[in-house]
Amino acid sequence: MEGLHSSARGENGFFPENPLSPGSRYRGGNDMVNSDGQLYTIEGFAAAMIMLFTVYLVLGATSVYTPGDTHISDMQLEQLGTDALRMMNTPVNSTPGLNSTLQDVIYNKGAPGFTCGSGFNCNEFNTTFLNYVNNMTGSGTDNLHYTASVTYYDINNKTTGSLPLYSNRNLTGGEHPVRVTEWVIVNKQFPGTNVIQNRAVLVEVLLWRD
Amino acid sequence: MAGLNDDAQWIILMGFVISFSFFFLAMILNQSVVVGQTTAESVLDFPKNDIRDVRSVIIESAAIGDPSSVHNDIITISMSRKNAVVNYACVPAGCPNPYTINIHYNNGVTAYNETWLSP
Repeated sequence: MEGLHSSARGENGFFPENPLSPGSRYRGGNDMVNSDGQLYTIEGFAAAMIMLFTVYLVLGATSVYTPGDTHISDMQLEQLGTDALRMMNTPVNSTPGLNSTLQDVIYNKGAPGFTCGSGFNCNEFNTTFLNYVNNMTGSGTDNLHYTASVTYYDINNKTTGSLPLYSNRNLTGGEHPVRVTEWVIVNKQFPGTNVIQNRAVLVEVLLWRD
Repeated sequence: MAGLNDDAQWIILMGFVISFSFFFLAMILNQSVVVGQTTAESVLDFPKNDIRDVRSVIIESAAIGDPSSVHNDIITISMSRKNAVVNYACVPAGCPNPYTINIHYNNGVTAYNETWLSP
């Protein structure tokens, strides 16, 4: 054996014999059992574990993606509705005594149309509001729907009450609406008192897209 | 490991490098989702539109002399429908020009106070 190889390492890079067990006739281990493959097996296991753990982490990371997304579209819808109501509550110019569209709606003034049971100009509210929120660049229109009500303070009963304003579609429970509001000051009589006086009421709109 | 061919160590090393880069990518992806969600939540929590709305109606109310009926309406409806404690006062009372309005808004998370000067 000694005479076959003059250097410690053979021509293929293998040690000609295992120096830890000098009497071995096989490289890499003792007699009868060759342990060359042990290291490859351990490495194979390690690589498999790493790959499985990586796949688990990657899949786990992507599955929590949805909740953040819906909040952003809610926020945009809320801003759109608030802007529409703010526009409706702004008079066309600063002439004293000139009402905004929203004040006219609550006074039941403005363009004649059908009125609902609460004494508001529902037709004008419906037309103007849908026009503001559904207009899009180009020829198409958006698909926003709403349910609107007017909340007032009932002075006699010391509670707040709501009068329905109008809804262009009923809420069935499957929608995901956002709430937008606008304060309006009107000189009108509301339930709970008999006098006509300046009152602040809250126009509340549930807005959703389908 | 005497007697073994160690040429494949480079392959294993590259495997480790790639695996760790996957780890870091997964962690960055994970963190970005959390950051996006907390940002959206904090933006939604902040009552920007409520404050602008109530501030606007208070200034409008002061312009017509701050009648007590409107004052009570604003405070009561803010409490019942917006879950916010709102109070305000004209100085001097009755809002004769020029006047200032002290506006206070607090919904338990966000507090907003303002002294508004009439133009």
